[in-house]
Amino acid sequence: MSASQGRRPEIIWTVPISGDGRRGGPQGWSRGGWHLDAAPVLPEWVNDVRGSAFTPFDHHVQAARAAEHGGFDAVVVPYDPAGEESWVLATVLSKETRHVGLIAEFPLGAMTPVYAAKMAATYQRVSGHRLGWKLALDVDPAIARSQGDFLDVTLRYQRADEFLTAARGVWSEQGYSFDGQHYHVFESGFPSPLSGHPFPRVVTSGISAEALDLGARQADVHLLPFDDALAGHRDGLGRLGSQYGRRVLVGLEVPVIAREDPEEAWARAARLFGQLPHAAGIGRPEHYRLDEHRWAGFGVLGLGAPIGLVGSYDEVAQRLRELFDDGVDVFVLDGNPHVEEAYRLGQHLLPLLGDFPVTAVPAAQTAR
Amino acid sequence: MSLDRPKSIDIYWRIGMGGDMASLRRPTRNRGDWDPTGPGSITPGLRDSEPDGYRYIDHMAEVARAAELSGFYGGLLPSFPQTDDPWVVSAALARATKTYRFMIAFQPGFLHPVQAARMSASLQRATGGRVVYNIITGGGGPAQLWWGDQVDHDDRYARTSEFLDVLKGVWHHRPYSFSGRFFQVEGGGLSPELAAQPFPEIYFSGSSPAAIDAAGRHADYYLSWLEPYAALRQKFDLVRQHSETIGRTPKFAVRADIVARHTPEAAWAEIAKGWEHVDAAAIGVAQARQGDSVGAQRASGFVSGSARGYRDFEVEPNVFGGFRVLRGGPAFGLIGSYEQVAERLDQLIELGVDTLILAGNPHLEEAYRVGEEVLPLLKARTLATV
Repeated sequence: MSASQGRRPEIIWTVPISGDGRRGGPQGWSRGGWHLDAAPVLPEWVNDVRGSAFTPFDHHVQAARAAEHGGFDAVVVPYDPAGEESWVLATVLSKETRHVGLIAEFPLGAMTPVYAAKMAATYQRVSGHRLGWKLALDVDPAIARSQGDFLDVTLRYQRADEFLTAARGVWSEQGYSFDGQHYHVFESGFPSPLSGHPFPRVVTSGISAEALDLGARQADVHLLPFDDALAGHRDGLGRLGSQYGRRVLVGLEVPVIAREDPEEAWARAARLFGQLPHAAGIGRPEHYRLDEHRWAGFGVLGLGAPIGLVGSYDEVAQRLRELFDDGVDVFVLDGNPHVEEAYRLGQHLLPLLGDFPVTAVPAAQTAR
Repeated sequence: MSLDRPKSIDIYWRIGMGGDMASLRRPTRNRGDWDPTGPGSITPGLRDSEPDGYRYIDHMAEVARAAELSGFYGGLLPSFPQTDDPWVVSAALARATKTYRFMIAFQPGFLHPVQAARMSASLQRATGGRVVYNIITGGGGPAQLWWGDQVDHDDRYARTSEFLDVLKGVWHHRPYSFSGRFFQVEGGGLSPELAAQPFPEIYFSGSSPAAIDAAGRHADYYLSWLEPYAALRQKFDLVRQHSETIGRTPKFAVRADIVARHTPEAAWAEIAKGWEHVDAAAIGVAQARQGDSVGAQRASGFVSGSARGYRDFEVEPNVFGGFRVLRGGPAFGLIGSYEQVAERLDQLIELGVDTLILAGNPHLEEAYRVGEEVLPLLKARTLATV
């Protein structure tokens, strides 16, 4: 999935799962069949032939293909109990794309580790080994209970550790048994042709001692918040990893507004802010500015992570390269509308992020 | 909004058939393989330094899907020597789309009409009746010779007319025989399975008297590039008068490129940025056209020969004649705020236009933008009086 020739960060895009659109704030994101009260309506005398021809997934697929064409390494399909189910969407996307890794986020209360491994084995066969698991660990307890998960919050990381251990066990061993606090498996394991595939790439997150410990023990990538404590958390994760003899990649979720020049980018941030339904109550966009490029207004705009980057393509690329030099290996980018922004960042930002070849592939001979 | 309006409007969105630009700000066509493939290229793109295996058709599919998801009726697939071919592209996209109508641009005579009928009927079967014709009769000059066509201007319209007679003939009659100046058929006629398909609607272009004459006989829609509105009205009146003499009622269609933004300033800023990359010497060259196209001559005539700055090409409010300089192709389009552009489109509908064929670069992103920001603002205020 990562596959870096030369030194460059891994870049992941985010697929919208509960609406997408061009405006600020998810209330106006009607693409994909969400928030239909906000959907643009054509005059009745314009022939609108869409009828029932399309499903919400037609839009989700457009976003994933945009990431694929834009050269992203992977897409993450987030967990949102009120949004599309991420395994189903990620599976559909696997047949609509060829290269991108597909990282489905899900909560561990949703299924047993054996069943998750079973679905993953089929997924790897369907997708050509492109599955990633992002564990939804920091779920609000009330929401977790609404999904049938009553586990005490303090035990979530312990359960996650067992979940991954058991899943890996049935994945790689015949006659595997496991006897833990949360899961019990007896003489399990996958026969051929389900066996022998690479285990899904595991993405964890969080900054509590338990979260960092879980990441260090079990994750391929551990996501940290894009705040001032980043360096400390990175070092802590690295130290724990060394104790376990593992190198865990450091990841960062970074929503982005990048344009040709900084003025354009900031003007867009302000415009999106102005489109929020309660624009008056949230203050001015400048109040969310943490430094020259770092902006904490993305959560208000409805994107997953609160803090991201605003600036010119060059500025944003410079910041990401600095972070890369400071030990961030993976960036999960986000921005709306997701199709257009994937194209934009793919064409203008990604080429600035690493050791891409300078020599171009010549164009076909054409009569111009 | 009038409920007793007798007609409804079809709105199409073009597919760029010769690659696409990331924006009008730079002339680089790094979508598709017309320019070299490098970092930031799309279809083919580079993945770990190697071409990613995608081809431009994959991007065209994205554009078509963006257009149909945004509410467009279909799109125009233009045809030029340096572009991909619209018949093949339509067939390739038939199963990748659901509602998108393929308005296939073609010049009668390059394909035999019987072959054109068979291809069309099969495409109708593949798409569920989503084929539309844009009959073009050629601009003459070197481009016409490039196609291997030496027939002169008025004769080309005679051939077009005959071509459509034969095409309809084999579709609707069996056995069908025809002996004309350009085409002969004996004992022809499509098989019943093919002939059962609906015959495609015909959009007919051409600004000369010969074109208007042929259009009167064959066109469902008389199609014009955008021109200054008074000129357009005059042209439509001419077509109406001619149609009346032969007892037909024409419908009208207009093609217009669009740059619409949330403010007029933001829209013109796109043009200003693009203009920075235009070679000043090339502006005059782009203005002067070779060939015998009356439409192209008309277009050149609307812009002063001394026009150099981009605002010189705004021949009337929001009507910009400089697209040919920025991206090639037709000269005229609309620049302005979402509201301004919607108002200008409303005025086209007031002029009697039944179909709008819109476009913008990059086609993918602008399909979403125009579909979501401009089309919902259409009011066509004087509908009741049309």
